[in-house]
Amino acid sequence: MPLDTSTYSLALLRLDGRRWNELRRLTAQISTQAAADGSSYLEMGNTKVICTVTGPLEAKSTSGNRSGGDRADVQVSIRIAGFSGVDRKRRGRGDKRTQEMQTTIANAFSQSLFTHLYPHSTITLSLHILSQDGSLLAALLNASTLALIDAGIPMRDYICACTAGSTSSYSSNDEKADPLLDLNNMEEQELPFLTVATLGDTDDVSVLVMETRVQIGRLEGMLAVGVDGCKQVREILDQVVRKRGTKILEGSQL
Amino acid sequence: MAITILAPAPTVPYQTRNDADDDDENGGVDLEGDSDMRPSKRARRGKDIVTPGETVTDDPQWMRGHGTYIAPSSTEIIATVAGTVQKTNKLLSVRPLRARYTPEIGDLVVGRIIEVQSKRWRVDVGAPVLAGLPLSAINLPGGILRKRTETDELQIRTFFSEGDLLVAEVQSLYQDGSASLHTRSLKYGKLRNGVFISVSGTGGGGGVVRARRQVWTIDTDHGGGKVDVILGVNGYIWISKHVEVAGGDTAITRIEENVSSTIYSSQNDEIPAETRREIARIRGVITLLVEEGLRVDEDMVMRGYEAAVMVDDENPGESTTYLGGDMGKRVLEMLSGT
Repeated sequence: MPLDTSTYSLALLRLDGRRWNELRRLTAQISTQAAADGSSYLEMGNTKVICTVTGPLEAKSTSGNRSGGDRADVQVSIRIAGFSGVDRKRRGRGDKRTQEMQTTIANAFSQSLFTHLYPHSTITLSLHILSQDGSLLAALLNASTLALIDAGIPMRDYICACTAGSTSSYSSNDEKADPLLDLNNMEEQELPFLTVATLGDTDDVSVLVMETRVQIGRLEGMLAVGVDGCKQVREILDQVVRKRGTKILEGSQL
Repeated sequence: MAITILAPAPTVPYQTRNDADDDDENGGVDLEGDSDMRPSKRARRGKDIVTPGETVTDDPQWMRGHGTYIAPSSTEIIATVAGTVQKTNKLLSVRPLRARYTPEIGDLVVGRIIEVQSKRWRVDVGAPVLAGLPLSAINLPGGILRKRTETDELQIRTFFSEGDLLVAEVQSLYQDGSASLHTRSLKYGKLRNGVFISVSGTGGGGGVVRARRQVWTIDTDHGGGKVDVILGVNGYIWISKHVEVAGGDTAITRIEENVSSTIYSSQNDEIPAETRREIARIRGVITLLVEEGLRVDEDMVMRGYEAAVMVDDENPGESTTYLGGDMGKRVLEMLSGT
């Protein structure tokens, strides 16, 4: 039994003292690595990730022929630090969960970036997870967005992600189940949740991942809360970019 | 001993969503949507930053340029990169704060040979795709107008081989944005006797900018002799010992006499320790300018170099070219003072 969430109904406060619609503390920095084309550091609560963008760069020609085609290829590699979780687990390169996240992120950004501007080249996203406390995929997506903006790669809009859950488990049939925003690790282990990413301020969902079971009636509420959370995330990310931009413009005047 | 416990502080200062001023409340996006005041409002606020997804204008009179797009079935011009809005007549474009170099015809670039093919070299110039340097676009030793023979093709590596650095000019652009280079001038060619710095990936006013003069010679202090500086527009920089070109100003008819096989030599000349020190000092000045997000051009480098020499002379003891910490701060103070 991982933990007991039955106390929620008493004060409507979650384990870490948040209400149902509150995000955790979300902070970010961009241009953290000077040598990279684009880089970012993002914290969502205690989930901490680093993202580095290389490219667009011409793909290494394999056996003479120009690989790629008429648009850029987005490649994602995720490394999970051994010390990032509570149990020190070594994950190999071929870990299925990691691979699935890589594919999800690569597909999302192949859609939102203007890859046709960079024919036969590659954009490589290198993500490092330093600490995990839930909403991992969401944090990775947000960090990637910031690093890609830093690299100056044209995109339709920010891809902003967050998680949403529901206070009821699958079997219980209570009517008063609340949707929850931005789950941490303990909540993720106990409750059904989904990761949703939207394209900027719109309601266009670009990523939706759900691995747990939930009653179909609860899904709509969860999704609505998640999409609303994504808009809050966009505002925070936007401020990070603006702040950095203002600083660069001020710095160049002497 | 008393122990103090410091309150945990976030690595990044956190600000609540509501402390921004009124304009940023909606992420800078005008929610009313159909105000046609947008362009004038932007112009008034001067250097304004737009971020991806932000509507720059919905006025159909503007044409969209780089860094923008128009969503299907609307007239709104939306930014795709974070940067500043630039207007050229009726063309609206967004210049990114930071991006890879995009070649333009006539740019002076410093590049490194990545690949040798049968009739051309592939050159890394810091752009999204490698640039090409055809064998027909270089000066061959022994005559500028000599026909390229199969012998030249076979010994293509004697001119440039993998890893060699060169300075060239962008001659033309291909459809996919890749550049074709040429080195058909005595100003261009293989680089030696110096040091390479990369300051690419800077933008928003910092880094190397297109200027009137990208190549010049510094008469250095401390007995360093003459030092050449080549600022590639792509952010690659070469600082080397100045080598007198035999004959100086050469008429076009006599050019072949000077194009000897030595121009493709990979052997460095003897460089005295004083010259090396001054080259290192100029390198320090450029890295300092880049770290501070300042413009790197002839004027700034010369002023920075003079300041660096003065700061070095002030300090008693051995001369040092290190420009970090207090030394760097002093140089910057002198730069901003003048």
